[in-house]
Amino acid sequence: MPDRSVVPFIFFAVSLLDPYASPLTADQVAHLLRRATFGPTASQVKSLTGKTAAQLVTMLLADQPQPAPPLDLTTGKTFHDQPFDTVNAGKFTVYLKNWWANLMLNQPLSLLEKTTLFWSNHFVTRDSTVNDYRFMYRYTALLRQYGLGNFKAFAVAVTQDPAMLRFLNGNQNVAGTANENYARELQELFVTGRNGGYLEDDVRAAAKVLTGWADSGYRDATKAEISTVFRANRHDTTDKTFSAAYQNTVIKGRSGASAGADELNELLDMLLRHAETPRFICRKLYRWFVNADIPAKVETGFIQPLAEVFRKSNFELKPVLAALFQSQHFFDEALRGAVIKSPVDLVVGTFRFWGVQAPDQNLTAYFQIGNYLYARVKEQQQDLLNPPTVFGWTAYYQTGYYQQWINSTTLGLRGLFGDALTTNALKLNSKPVIDVLAYVKTLSDPSDPAKLVNDLTGQLLALALTQPQKDFLIDTILLNSIPRYEWTGEWNDYIKSPNDTAKRQAVQIKLTAFLQYVFRMAEYQVF
Amino acid sequence: MKRRNFLQQAVSSLVLPVLIDGYGAKAFARPSSFVQSLLSLAEQSDRVLVIIQLQGGNDGLNTVIPLDQLSTYSSAGFRGNIAIPGAKALKLKYYPETGLHPAMTGMQQLFNESRLSIVQGVSYPSPNFSHFRASDIWMTGVDADKTATSGWTGRYLDNRFPGFPEKYPSDKMPDPPAIQIGYVTATTLLGSTNSMAIVLQNPDSFARLVGDTPKDPLSALPGYAGQQIDYIRQQQASSVSYAGQIKTAAGKGKNLAVYPEKNALGDQLKIIARLISGGLQTKVYYVTLGGFDNHANQVVSSDTTTGTHANLLKTLSDAILAFQNDLTQLKVDERVVGMTFSEFGRRAKSNGSFGTDHGTSAPMFVFGSAVKTPMVGKNPNLSDLDANNLKMQTDFRQVYAAILTDWFGTDAGTETATLFRDFPVVPVFRQTVTATAPVLSEARVYPNPASTEVILESDWLEQGVKTVQMTDLQGRLFSLRSSRPTPTSIHMVVSHLPTGNYLLRVETVRGIVTRQVLVTH
Repeated sequence: MPDRSVVPFIFFAVSLLDPYASPLTADQVAHLLRRATFGPTASQVKSLTGKTAAQLVTMLLADQPQPAPPLDLTTGKTFHDQPFDTVNAGKFTVYLKNWWANLMLNQPLSLLEKTTLFWSNHFVTRDSTVNDYRFMYRYTALLRQYGLGNFKAFAVAVTQDPAMLRFLNGNQNVAGTANENYARELQELFVTGRNGGYLEDDVRAAAKVLTGWADSGYRDATKAEISTVFRANRHDTTDKTFSAAYQNTVIKGRSGASAGADELNELLDMLLRHAETPRFICRKLYRWFVNADIPAKVETGFIQPLAEVFRKSNFELKPVLAALFQSQHFFDEALRGAVIKSPVDLVVGTFRFWGVQAPDQNLTAYFQIGNYLYARVKEQQQDLLNPPTVFGWTAYYQTGYYQQWINSTTLGLRGLFGDALTTNALKLNSKPVIDVLAYVKTLSDPSDPAKLVNDLTGQLLALALTQPQKDFLIDTILLNSIPRYEWTGEWNDYIKSPNDTAKRQAVQIKLTAFLQYVFRMAEYQVF
Repeated sequence: MKRRNFLQQAVSSLVLPVLIDGYGAKAFARPSSFVQSLLSLAEQSDRVLVIIQLQGGNDGLNTVIPLDQLSTYSSAGFRGNIAIPGAKALKLKYYPETGLHPAMTGMQQLFNESRLSIVQGVSYPSPNFSHFRASDIWMTGVDADKTATSGWTGRYLDNRFPGFPEKYPSDKMPDPPAIQIGYVTATTLLGSTNSMAIVLQNPDSFARLVGDTPKDPLSALPGYAGQQIDYIRQQQASSVSYAGQIKTAAGKGKNLAVYPEKNALGDQLKIIARLISGGLQTKVYYVTLGGFDNHANQVVSSDTTTGTHANLLKTLSDAILAFQNDLTQLKVDERVVGMTFSEFGRRAKSNGSFGTDHGTSAPMFVFGSAVKTPMVGKNPNLSDLDANNLKMQTDFRQVYAAILTDWFGTDAGTETATLFRDFPVVPVFRQTVTATAPVLSEARVYPNPASTEVILESDWLEQGVKTVQMTDLQGRLFSLRSSRPTPTSIHMVVSHLPTGNYLLRVETVRGIVTRQVLVTH
C-alpha cells in the first residue's frame, strides 16, 4: 500500500490506476495469469493465491534469458545463422513458427511472450512479404529484446530492422524518389496514432528523414550475415519541416555516415513529444490486455494517467505494464470475461492448463507439439508472424473488436479443436494431451458430481456459471439423466479398482464427453 | 477524444434511418399493409450481388489505361518506370481511347460482350490515405469526416430482413441474407446489431464443422461478458440453423464452366456459383482478393506488363470470366451482378521503387448480363492533378445507389437511409440514351437549350418535391441552385455548367420527372 500522506491525494482518489493491494483470491490470480500470460495451470493458481498483485507483477516482469534459437528438425542444427537455403526455406519458416508456439507453451511465469506477440501485432511485419526466415528470426529476437524495454530505443531499432526495411519498403526510400510507406505507418500505426492530427506533408517530410537505409544479406545463399546499412549518398540532406501537429519542428538536414541515425533519433524525439503518442500506445496495450471498449471514464481515469506514467518514465515499458496489471481497474469484476480469447489464447492456453510442455530434449516430439499448436492457431486465423495486414489482426482495431475472431467457420474450428483433445483423444509425444482422470483426482471431491462440476468449471472458465447452468451440465451432460448418486458409485468403484478397464472407462467416457461440451461453450471462449 | 467508440455515440443519429417524406427504414420496422406488400414484392426478387474486395488499394492507371494520354502516362516524370506500353494494352470495343492491362483478357472479353461496365475515377470528397480509415469509409459508405458502425450492405439487408437474426431463418427467407467466403467478417456486411453474413470456407464440411446448438440454459450475464457470450451464442445458433440449407444447396448445386487452376478468387467464386445454382436465396456474397498494396516492385522492371500487379489482375480477370461463363451456362446469369472495390487507387506518379504510393480515385468494375452502359465517365485527366493525385469523377456511393435502386429495386427512401444521403445513380444498369424515360407530357422544360437558367413546370410538383438533381450523361452529379417561383415550377441556375447534354431528375411525391436539358453558352 503506498503511503498516501506523501502522494497527492487527488491522484489516487480519481484514478482507476490506484494499486490493488489486497492479497489476491484464486479467481484474481487466474484472471491476472490468463490476461498477462498464455494461461495458468490449476496448481499454479493454487500456489500463488494469497500473493499481492505487486508481488506477482514483479515475478511477471523479471528479466528472462534469450531463448535458444530454433533448430532444424532433420539435422538438429541452427539455421538462422546460416546462408539462405532456398530449398528448405518453407520448412524453416514453419520451424520458426513452431518454435515460437512452443516458447509460448513452455514459458514459466512471465509477461515476455505475450508482449512479444503484442509487438508483432503492433510493429507488424509479415513473413509472406519478407520471405526470408532469417530476417524473421532476427525480427522476433528484436521484439523479445525490446518488448519490455524502452519504447524509443525499440522504435529506433524497428526502423532499422532488416525485415521492417523490406516489409514497408524503407530500403527503397531514397533521396529524390521517396517511398512513403514506412513514414506513413510509423506515424499512423507505430508511434503517433491516427488521432495525431498530422498532415500528408508530415508523411512526406518523415519519409525524407528516413531516406538512405537498406538491409543487406537478403536471401543471400552464400553469406550468413544480415545487417542494416546506411547509404549516406542516398540520404536526403535537405531540412525537413513539419506541421503544427509537431510544433513546426524542423529536422536539420545532415550528410555523412551518421546523418541517418541522427535524424532518426530527432524524428523519434519529435514523435514522442506529441501528446497523443503515449495515450495511443497505452490504449493499444489496454485493448490487448484489458478490454476493447474505452468509455470516457476509462480514458480520463486510466488511459491518461497511464500515459503520464509512460511519459514520465521516459517511455520505459515496464513501469506502464506494472501499473496496468496491479491497478484497481484491472481487477474490476465487470471486466471478467470481456475479452474473447484469441486463437493463441485458446489453443496455447488450453494446452498449458493441461500441463503439456514441449520437450527440448526430444526434437521430434518438440516439433510435433509446436506444429500442432501452430496449425490450429493458423487455421483459426492467427498466423504467427503473418497478421493479415500492417494493421495487425482485425480483432484489435476493427468494429466489434474481439468478436472478429468469431464467425461460423472459426467457431466451428474452435469446437473441432476441443473435440480432438477429448473425444478423439489426441496424443502428442505418445501421450494423451488430456489425462482427465488424473486431473479430476486433484479436485475437492470427485465422487460428488455437483462438486466435481463446480470445481472443474470454476477452474476452466473465467466466468461463474449460474445454478441452472451447473445443474444442466451435471444432469444432462455429465450424467445423461441418470441419478446423481449413480455417479458416486461409479467413481468409487473406479477408485477401488483403478486398473479395471471397464470401471475406468465408465467414468472416463462421461468425463471426456463432458469436457468436450464445456470446450464448445460460449463461456470457454472468453476470459 | 476522437476514437471510434466515442464517435459511435456521437454519430448514432447517422446510423438511424433518415426519413425523407417516403418510406424509410422506420416504416419497415412498423409494417403497414402497404409496406408488407412492398416487402413481399422485394422477397420475390431473386437478384444477387457479389462483392469483390481488392485489398490494399488497386493501381487504377495500370488497370484501365488512358491510351489518349500515353505520352504523359509513359513519361519519365510520371510513371515511365511502370507504365504499360500502349501497344500492349488490350483494346476495348467502341472505346479506342481506353485500354485494359494486358493480363486482363477475360475482362476485355466481358467488356466487348457488354457484360462489364467500367466506372471511371471513383472516390469521394476529401479522400483518406490510410488503408484502415479508407476501407472503413468504403465499407460503411460514409463521408470522409463521418463514421458508422454498420456496413452499407448490412444496412440494406437489415432493412430488407427486419428482426435478423432473432426471427430467422423464416419460411420466406430460410437462407442466410449474406454469405462471405473466407474467415473474417467484413465490415460491409455488418447490420445495426449483428453481422448479416454467414462466413464459410467450405460448404460441404460446414454442417459438420458447426456441430449442434448448445442446449444449456442461458446465463443472461450483464455487461461486457454478457455481450460477448450473446454474440458467440448467436453465431453458434445462426451457423447451425443455416448449415442444413447450405449443405442442401451445395449438394444440389453444380459448376459447368472450367475455372482457372491455383486462383484463390476463382475458387471462392466457384463456391458462390454452386450455391446460387443450388437454389440458395442469399442476396449478397462477399469475397476478398488481397495483395494490392504495391509500394515497390509492382512490375518487373524489364517488362512492365509482368510482375505482382499483373498476376493479381490476371487472377481477378480470369476468375471473373470463368464465374460469368459458369453463371451463363447455369442459366442464372440474369440474376447475378458483381462489383469490385478497393479502398483507394494509387498515386498518379510512380515512386522510384517500381511501385506506387497511396492515392485517390480509381476505376470500379461492375459485371453481369444486366450491365447496360459499358463506360461511365472518362479517362482521368493526367494533366489536371491534385497533389499528384487523380481527381474524382464519381462518388462510390453513386455506384452503391445504382445497385440498391436499379439492381435490388430499393425505393428511394430506403436507398437514402442506407447511404445516409440521396446520391444520383450512375447509369450502369440503364441505357444512357433511354435514361430520359418515362416521358411525361404534362412536364415542360424551358428554355431548352438553356444558357443561364432553366425552368421545369409540372402539376406533379405541387404536392412536394423531394430531390432535384442534374447529372451529365455519364452520371456525374453537378451542384445546382434551385428555387420555387410557383407551386408548379422549379427554377434552376445552369450558367456554371459546361456546354453539353444533361439529365434533370426531379423526384416528387407522385413520381420521378426526368428531362434532358441541353446547356449551351
